[in-house]
Amino acid sequence: MKTSPIPEHPIPLSGEQVEAMRQRHLKKHHIAIILLHWFNALVWIWELSTGVALVSADRLRVVPVAFIQTLTELAGSRANLMRIHLGLGLTWIAVFLVYGLFGWRTYLSQEVLKREIALDADDMAWLRIRVLGILGRSSESLPPQGVYNAGQKLFALMVYAALPVIMATGLIMAFHLFGTAVVGWAALIHFCAVGGVFSGLIVHVYMGAVFPEEKPAFFSMFSGVVDEVFAYSHHFKWWREMKLKEQAWEVKHDQAVQPDPTKANESSST
Amino acid sequence: MTRHAMVTDLRRCVGCQACTAACNAEWDVPAGYARTHIQHTPVQGTFPDLAAGILVAQCAQCDEAPCLPACPSGATFRDANGAVRVNREVCIGCGYCVAACPYDARYIHPVLKKADKCDFCAPRVARGQEPACVATCPTHAKVFGNLEDRESPVFKLVYDLGAQRRETQAIHVGPHVYYQGKPQQVALVMDAFPPRPPHMPVSGSLWEKVARPVVVGAVGLTFAGQAVAFFHQLWHGEEDYED
Repeated sequence: MKTSPIPEHPIPLSGEQVEAMRQRHLKKHHIAIILLHWFNALVWIWELSTGVALVSADRLRVVPVAFIQTLTELAGSRANLMRIHLGLGLTWIAVFLVYGLFGWRTYLSQEVLKREIALDADDMAWLRIRVLGILGRSSESLPPQGVYNAGQKLFALMVYAALPVIMATGLIMAFHLFGTAVVGWAALIHFCAVGGVFSGLIVHVYMGAVFPEEKPAFFSMFSGVVDEVFAYSHHFKWWREMKLKEQAWEVKHDQAVQPDPTKANESSST
Repeated sequence: MTRHAMVTDLRRCVGCQACTAACNAEWDVPAGYARTHIQHTPVQGTFPDLAAGILVAQCAQCDEAPCLPACPSGATFRDANGAVRVNREVCIGCGYCVAACPYDARYIHPVLKKADKCDFCAPRVARGQEPACVATCPTHAKVFGNLEDRESPVFKLVYDLGAQRRETQAIHVGPHVYYQGKPQQVALVMDAFPPRPPHMPVSGSLWEKVARPVVVGAVGLTFAGQAVAFFHQLWHGEEDYED
């Protein structure tokens, strides 16, 4: 079987190539990751809302009193608000523990993290050009990206660092671990870690759901796949890696299915 | 309108701890902790002119209770009778209120891991009973009632007989536990047990003064940045990514 050459760097595509690639899809997310993502999104909406409503002291609160009152009334009482926050938080931790246990080698091993979310020189250039581009200050073309772009990687790094902190401090507060002073520090650290992730979430949601160029990435969080045009233009390194793998598999497959000419002769002679 | 208050007559108090025992029993206060307790001043003077005072310490349900704004979750609240109470289901046991109380009237319950304190026996009062300490005091040294009711004994003791609050010029947060007695006795107690300045643990101060403005600033700036990008997108229109 004849295989087409895979370019080492992004090259302009012809109209025919674009049409053909648009029909082909690459699997980007496993169904487990899609479910985890949307479960996580729902949990964050609830936990953020109930969390900020639970910080009601005037000197510390970050939302208007009306928001706190409305949410308290919706929950029925502040005790219920706390129960929802704790119950959902503990469920969230349990789900992520299962994900960590079963998905360790696939998603969390050092090799995978290094390949998928470690920032390289292309990523640093991408960040600079992307920010300037969004603000209309640069028209440079973006460097090729892996399965996740530098923005996604940056957010993932922040989330990977903050999630254990949020979980640990949440557990310390929920079960009053290590004494009163530690609970006081845990409350502060919980607030800071959630605040940091929320800053990133604003960008994540905008880039994922509103920014036009990333819309296929948004839809891939439902379908699990992206078309090859998007993969080629936005995640060239990953596209190339997948195509090389595909090509290697095809070669192996062709060799396996082609009959051995020596054996064919033997069978005809008998 | 109701504003519950308590007056302790130092002339009647003999320091028998019956109030402490009654409170501990009523509220299952763990050993080594107390919602109310007795403290003795050092004996002053020379024999036979000796003087000593007894402080019956408890939460003073202050008008400007420093524990209220200190509590991050709103677990500490003031009820309709003016008592400062703790909603245990919302309390996280951070201890900010314990540090904030000028009278050291709060503690973290070692079993429940929640803030605990005297609330003038609010559940008993709701049932029409007196606080346990008042009901138990064998010398009737403690008087409880509504400070807004002219017929209440506490009204008379406070406004007619001049019962005093445990306050200093520096720390005056409007306590509603009053002390009455011989001027020398009251002065001894006031001098020996002045309220301390409320303070906030380092974590609580950092949260208020650093973390909150930084987080609000970071979220605000990010949001503003995305808003700029969004309007830029609207202004220039959207193009299909394939093109």
